[in-house]
Amino acid sequence: MARRRKRKTGPVKGLFLEAFRAGGGYYDFSLLFIVLLLVGVGLIMVYSTSYYSAVRFKGDSMYYLKRQGVLAFAGIIAMIFVSRVDYKILLKRVKNTTVRMPSLLLALSIVLQFYVLINGVDFNGAKRWISLGPLGTFQPSDFAKVAVIIYVAYMIHINPRALDRVGGFVRIMIPVMIDVALIAKENVSTAIVITLILGGMCFIASRNKKYFLFFILLGVLAVVAIFLFGEGFRMARFNSWKNVESDENAFQTLQGLYAIASGGLMGRGLGQSTQKLGYVPEAQNDWIFSIICEELGLVGACVIILAFLILLWRVFQIAVNSRELFGGMICVGVLVHVASQVLLNVAVVTNSIPATGVALPFISYGGTSVAMMLIEMGLALSVSYRIGTEQEGAVG
Amino acid sequence: MKTYHRRSILMGFLACCILTFFLIGRLYYLMIGRAEYYGVKVREVQERERSIKAARGKILDANGVELASNKSVSTISVIYNQVKQPEKVIDVLSKELELDREEVAKKVKKRSSREKIKANVDKTIADRIRNMQLEGVMVDEDYRRYYPYSTLASKVIGFTGSDNQGIIGLEVTYEDILRGKDGVIYTLTNAQGVEIKNTAEHRKEPIPGNDLQISIDLNMQMYAQQAAWKVRQEKQAKSVRIIMMNPNNGEIYAMVNEPEFDLNDPFTLVETDDANASTKQNETDKANSMTEQNETDKENTLTQQNETDNTKVMTEKEKNEKRNAMWRNSCISDTYEPGSTFKIITATAALSEHKVTVKDTFFCGGSRRVENRTIRCHKTSGHGAETFREGFMNSCNPVFMEVGERTGVANMFKWYKNLGLFEKTGVDVPGEASSIFHKQENVKAVELATMSFGQSIQITPLQLLRAVASVVNGGTLVTPHFGVRVISEKENRIKNLSYEEKSAKLDEETQSTMKELLEAVVAEGGGNKAYIEGYRIGGKTATSEKLPRGTGKYISSFLGIAPIDDPKVMALILIDEPQGVYYGGTIAAPVIRQVFENILPYMGIELAFKE
Repeated sequence: MARRRKRKTGPVKGLFLEAFRAGGGYYDFSLLFIVLLLVGVGLIMVYSTSYYSAVRFKGDSMYYLKRQGVLAFAGIIAMIFVSRVDYKILLKRVKNTTVRMPSLLLALSIVLQFYVLINGVDFNGAKRWISLGPLGTFQPSDFAKVAVIIYVAYMIHINPRALDRVGGFVRIMIPVMIDVALIAKENVSTAIVITLILGGMCFIASRNKKYFLFFILLGVLAVVAIFLFGEGFRMARFNSWKNVESDENAFQTLQGLYAIASGGLMGRGLGQSTQKLGYVPEAQNDWIFSIICEELGLVGACVIILAFLILLWRVFQIAVNSRELFGGMICVGVLVHVASQVLLNVAVVTNSIPATGVALPFISYGGTSVAMMLIEMGLALSVSYRIGTEQEGAVG
Repeated sequence: MKTYHRRSILMGFLACCILTFFLIGRLYYLMIGRAEYYGVKVREVQERERSIKAARGKILDANGVELASNKSVSTISVIYNQVKQPEKVIDVLSKELELDREEVAKKVKKRSSREKIKANVDKTIADRIRNMQLEGVMVDEDYRRYYPYSTLASKVIGFTGSDNQGIIGLEVTYEDILRGKDGVIYTLTNAQGVEIKNTAEHRKEPIPGNDLQISIDLNMQMYAQQAAWKVRQEKQAKSVRIIMMNPNNGEIYAMVNEPEFDLNDPFTLVETDDANASTKQNETDKANSMTEQNETDKENTLTQQNETDNTKVMTEKEKNEKRNAMWRNSCISDTYEPGSTFKIITATAALSEHKVTVKDTFFCGGSRRVENRTIRCHKTSGHGAETFREGFMNSCNPVFMEVGERTGVANMFKWYKNLGLFEKTGVDVPGEASSIFHKQENVKAVELATMSFGQSIQITPLQLLRAVASVVNGGTLVTPHFGVRVISEKENRIKNLSYEEKSAKLDEETQSTMKELLEAVVAEGGGNKAYIEGYRIGGKTATSEKLPRGTGKYISSFLGIAPIDDPKVMALILIDEPQGVYYGGTIAAPVIRQVFENILPYMGIELAFKE
């Protein structure tokens, strides 16, 4: 994007820009800005939604905000660091071995996932976290998303034509699905998101899209099978979705709907939500969007959705302008990841689909999630940074 | 990136955009389209309605004395989530409210948003509990209907149920006037049911009910009630009824149905049977020690109590029947054969139709043969030769049989109608009974003869009083009533109630003749025991044998009017099933005399003459 580089800047900003221009590419400040905006909004909303339960259960109104703030800050530092590093080092071999970084990351992710199943920390009946002692907890499934994005991008990078055949897709798929299966044991939502990342990346990379029909059909059948023959728990979710107002298991969804409907056009005003006062359980988590609707109204909710769309647009721009496939596919992975989580989250909160716990990127409470998401943004920025001066913007 | 990659990514991005717009549409639907629908639901969830009880209107007697008013009571409840020291709360509440500790503990520990511990708690106890400021204990002000004179005119005034709604009597008739409109405070609460401070609460102020002033005069009612109680004791009667009415406008000064019941405790049966005295004792004791206000609980305990005592077990149905009987206002809801007092009607009809004059002579041989039946006079030896005037004074049946015969069925029925005997009086308490007459075409000589002296017909005491009132008040058929005016304290407005009046189509001559005859009964005839020196009192006695005949059960009655030349008050007494002497002239007339002796001076009616 030559246009952008030639823009005149003030002396201070100029210096700042020069520092980042060292890579020779352009730095996507629009993306950076929109990410920082979302993280900022996220912190404000986490504070607003968690205030009540923080005071009630933790005795400190800033309890959740502090934890989220620390990890968000760390995530931003990590993002900037990652963005300054050439992402192509990921393609290098690990010293003294033939193993390359992406495979190592995926292997590490599988190991961590094994570990968490055996020795995880149990919250609300799900073993999803690894205790880091005084540093808090770490959710390896968030790490898995990044690992899978890098791994799949790498696999596509080394053999772009492999995906033109089913066999190539299956070869990429198998190690990822091992990870997915382990995650699905405790966290179906994340498993779905990772499957979407894998499928989305491969679909975009493949020239032959026909066989994906088969896999989509397979996926649909799997979902139907889960609902028909699966555990009572899944079936109950489906029933809750259909009978949200009468089903007693649909409490959270119904309270979320109450919150959304209370918002109106302009909302009740920041901090004025009533539904967060214990009605929507753990309002700062997956259902944070319902409180955003209540406090900021339809307008506020649309602004946030629009911000996500702009973010996706920027990532899309970086992807299509990327010089080479690895960087481009990383961006595709990031795009699919963010898009699927935003869409799933909003769809669940508005009861458009049966409930499944997906965090709203950058905004929902959850330190690992935000940090990992920021690292992914760092990767996208890094890709943008390496887009050479000679790069011609093919798609504008 | 190859071109096909770019195209694929663009497709993916566009797919995201489409899905995003679908979700925005969904949000629009929820936040704008369904806002109202969910708005109502969310209020149900978030808002706590605290009702502010409206005071029910008072019922005042003719002089403004409160006959029914409100007592400030409190409802004590606990909010589970706010209770910090459950053990202390249980201790305090069970001690102060004199409740079983187990019961209180169960309620305090029950996970509910609000659990009622006890209603109708006395204000002093409630204040004591409130001052302890126990967390999670709510003390809500409420009103409870209170009747300062407990048994006074109980069946007329009536009482209210737990929801402060009238159950019988005037409390029912004037429900709409007396009932206030409860106010509401809506406050936002969090999920734990704790009210959120500093949020706008909207409230609707309560509107107190209007007061009702009735024609019952506390003093006159008390005199009458006392007299009725006394004669019932003396005569071991089943019941004694007294109605006192202003004949000129139908205002009822007193209406007694002895035995009355306690309006402040209307569900406890008042036993009339001595055999059940012990049961009654049990019930009363139990009821007094009852701490639970819940009526069904009370019932259960009562039943258990009875079972353990091996006394008669009353089923719920039997009990309800007994209660309904106890609450029944017999003056209005029950018909009876009026007997000789009904001769006033026969005489009025005959005089109006000029079928008889006071000087017409008759002969009573102790009975009269009508068709193939011999109908006897109460004086079996016969009254001999007598004028109509004497026949009226003697209450001679053969005279009236003949007078009835002369008047004829059509004329008799015409006057029954004119005197309002075919219609309800229109009195403003619920449950008025209709009179029972033969069909006109079925009335043959025998029926006519018996009807002439008040048999083979059934009317309510109030119907009789109303008919006679029209004879002595100048010919106006009034509507007997209690409600006089509605006083709206809030709007500072008084509304007088009006009642229908119509003409009984009586000529003056008949009226004056009738007054003369009625006075003669008291002055010289069978009603002389109602005579009060210095007052001109009219009246008529009656002794009606109850159906079926021959059981020795009578209703002794007397109808008195004072002063007869300018009637200000009329009184009717019915003594149901007296033991021993049962003649109306002997036992009923003296009661009315006693009552009149007290109330005539009270009413400011001066002595007509001094002897």
